Amino acid sequence: MNLNAIIIDDEYNAREEMEFLLKQTECINVLEKCSNAVEGIKAINSLHPDVIFLDIQLPGINGFNLLSMIDVSVLPRVVFVTAYDEYALEAFENDAIDYLLKPVDKLRLEKTIDKIKNSILQNSNQKINLMPLTKIPSVGANKVKLIDVNCIEYVHSDETGVFIICADKKYFTVITLKVFESRTKLFRCHKQYLINPDKIDEIIFDENSAGKIKTTSQHLIPISRHYLKELKEELGI
Amino acid sequence: MVILTSLFKEIAVFLVLAYLFSKTPIFKLLQTNDFKFKNYLVLYVFFSSMAVIGTYLGESIEGVIVNNRIIAVMIAGLIGGPVLGLAVGITAGIHRYFLGGFNALPIAISAIVEGLFAGLVNQYFSKRRKHERVFDPDIAFATTLISEILQMAIIIAITRPIQESISLIKLIIVPMVISNSLGTALIMSLFKDQRLNYDKIGSTYSKQALRIAKRILGELSKGLNNNSAERIANILLEETSVGAVAITDRENILAFVGIGKDHHNPGSPIASDITKVSISENRIMFLDGKDECYQCPISEDCLLSSVLVVPMRIKDEVIGTIKLYGKKNKYFFKINEALGKGIAEIVGNQLLAARYEYQKNLLTRAELNLIQAQIKPHFLFNTINTIIAINRRNPEKAIELLIHLSNFFRKILKRNEDISTIKEELEHVNSYLEIEKVRLQNHLKINFDVDENLMDIKIPTFSFQPLVENAIKHGISNLLEKGELDIRIFRKDGCIQIDIEDNAGTFVENKDNPGLGVNIVDKRIKNLAGSEYGVKINCDSDIKTVATILLPAGGVA
Repeated sequence: MNLNAIIIDDEYNAREEMEFLLKQTECINVLEKCSNAVEGIKAINSLHPDVIFLDIQLPGINGFNLLSMIDVSVLPRVVFVTAYDEYALEAFENDAIDYLLKPVDKLRLEKTIDKIKNSILQNSNQKINLMPLTKIPSVGANKVKLIDVNCIEYVHSDETGVFIICADKKYFTVITLKVFESRTKLFRCHKQYLINPDKIDEIIFDENSAGKIKTTSQHLIPISRHYLKELKEELGI
Repeated sequence: MVILTSLFKEIAVFLVLAYLFSKTPIFKLLQTNDFKFKNYLVLYVFFSSMAVIGTYLGESIEGVIVNNRIIAVMIAGLIGGPVLGLAVGITAGIHRYFLGGFNALPIAISAIVEGLFAGLVNQYFSKRRKHERVFDPDIAFATTLISEILQMAIIIAITRPIQESISLIKLIIVPMVISNSLGTALIMSLFKDQRLNYDKIGSTYSKQALRIAKRILGELSKGLNNNSAERIANILLEETSVGAVAITDRENILAFVGIGKDHHNPGSPIASDITKVSISENRIMFLDGKDECYQCPISEDCLLSSVLVVPMRIKDEVIGTIKLYGKKNKYFFKINEALGKGIAEIVGNQLLAARYEYQKNLLTRAELNLIQAQIKPHFLFNTINTIIAINRRNPEKAIELLIHLSNFFRKILKRNEDISTIKEELEHVNSYLEIEKVRLQNHLKINFDVDENLMDIKIPTFSFQPLVENAIKHGISNLLEKGELDIRIFRKDGCIQIDIEDNAGTFVENKDNPGLGVNIVDKRIKNLAGSEYGVKINCDSDIKTVATILLPAGGVA
């Protein structure tokens, strides 16, 4: 059985070494190597790997946070890789198939791969404790910016990606609408829109469509019929 | 000779009277300098009686009553001022006048004049704020001497025929002048001793002081802040009879309790000059409310009129003051001065102990931190991992890295030196940066701009590395593009400045986690060089973060 893997580590040499070791096992196919959480999320969402080798200490968004930004349906098996067990990794045993300490021992890695294979064969689910999202990463000009969920008015997706709209600014993000829907208080009012209930100023109903939501900073968001009922329930109207 | 013996007998009686007087509560009035009308009246009655007794005790010699009446008049004037002196003089004079005799008038007049004169002497010293001096026996002696000569002059001027008065004066001048001057001086000396005794009663206050000390102890274990200052001020207010208590640091009022707390607000800057002087000159300041009044700089209606400002010291450094205030028209006991001094000393010692304890903790913490933070396991294992990876492609480079890693750890493990030179620190940082450069894959550009003349300047060991590490870990490693690190060491404004600048501008002050990294470096420098030095971090959000170490021109000791 061959497995598709992604390596996420901020250090070039660490990625190279992990790739080298994985190739030696001759059953792992490294799809992508990512140097930060945003790249990692993007790669997971698009490549759907079987397993990720995830460094915990990543700049900006650490490995644990990264997991909470992935939709459960595409969440791969997770192997934590870290230089030093300061997180008492046993505590996260349920969240991951295994954890490895750097530098990684070849024999130890083989055991890990066995575990992954078993998990996939038995189709057992990882019970990952996903934390609610409070900060959303957005890729800015030269660094990752973290946006507080409470500042978001609505989230919108189109063919070019997912955008976070705050009162004064618009940000691009790699987090999918599904993740927003399941891990934040934002809820769906349209196939392509999620609204922050705290930012609703007014709901306008008209005859032709289901209606529109006016946000506190006067953005207009469409409501689709499909979500109208749920929306009303959610808002208690 | 007969005259002199008789006069001395009389003085002996006066001394006994004066001694008894000094044991009565009335004497306390002298102690307090608090001369209200009622008090004047008591003193007037006492000294007038003494003068009358003096007259009766006198021996009649050739129709002249040789006596020491004048001693009572002199003392009344010296102690109570012109009004009391004059009043006692008039009483004694009138009384003497009605006893008759050929010289009754001049003697009566001279009693009045002498009382006034003694009173003026009192006024002279009071105006010069040396009221205490009137109790000096030598002043009393001189005043009486002059008065007596004045008396003789009056007698000569008024008594007729002049021959008779001259022969009288010849007879009495020497014994009168000597005995009266001596007598006044003796009684004053007795009063003075009694007054001092009274102050020494302060020692009985030692119990009170001890109680205060006991209550203050422990309040200062966390240093002097608004809370501990307020608790101490309250203790002082409860334990002493003062009107109000304030505690200040060098700039601000930390606590104010008692009368006038409505307008003396803790947290506001020190307003009164007397406190500023006390701090800048390291001196106890005292305005007794009588000769010198305290005028509240904030409110004209403030009821406080006397104040004692005692500087609190840690070693020789004034760190603030304790201020005891007295209410208007209430004598501010000198005892409070000793008490204030004692308390300031206790507070100083306590703070010193607290600071010592703190430094000890700091040292232990710093040491722990050095072990945990300097030998960062993450750093160690990541570096080893890096070296393994590089070794597969480029064994030479791997060896080079191992050498840097060795240098880095050798320095850390040789932790017996608290102080290093800037050169040593730079070497240490350089080893660290060489490793980080490889780990960040040329993601990092480092620019050094260092004044070579400063290489031997002393600096606490491991001052640079935590700042550089911060710049990389919390700054540059967050960047998606190339990171730049600037290290500048130069002289500026008589100080040495070390800037460590990154181009990320992502520094966030972590209030939950003080005492780590930067904080430790800052505190170590401040402890060694003074509070004006240390580490400052300025973040220009998204543009740059600059960590600046400021050192004295000669480095740390």
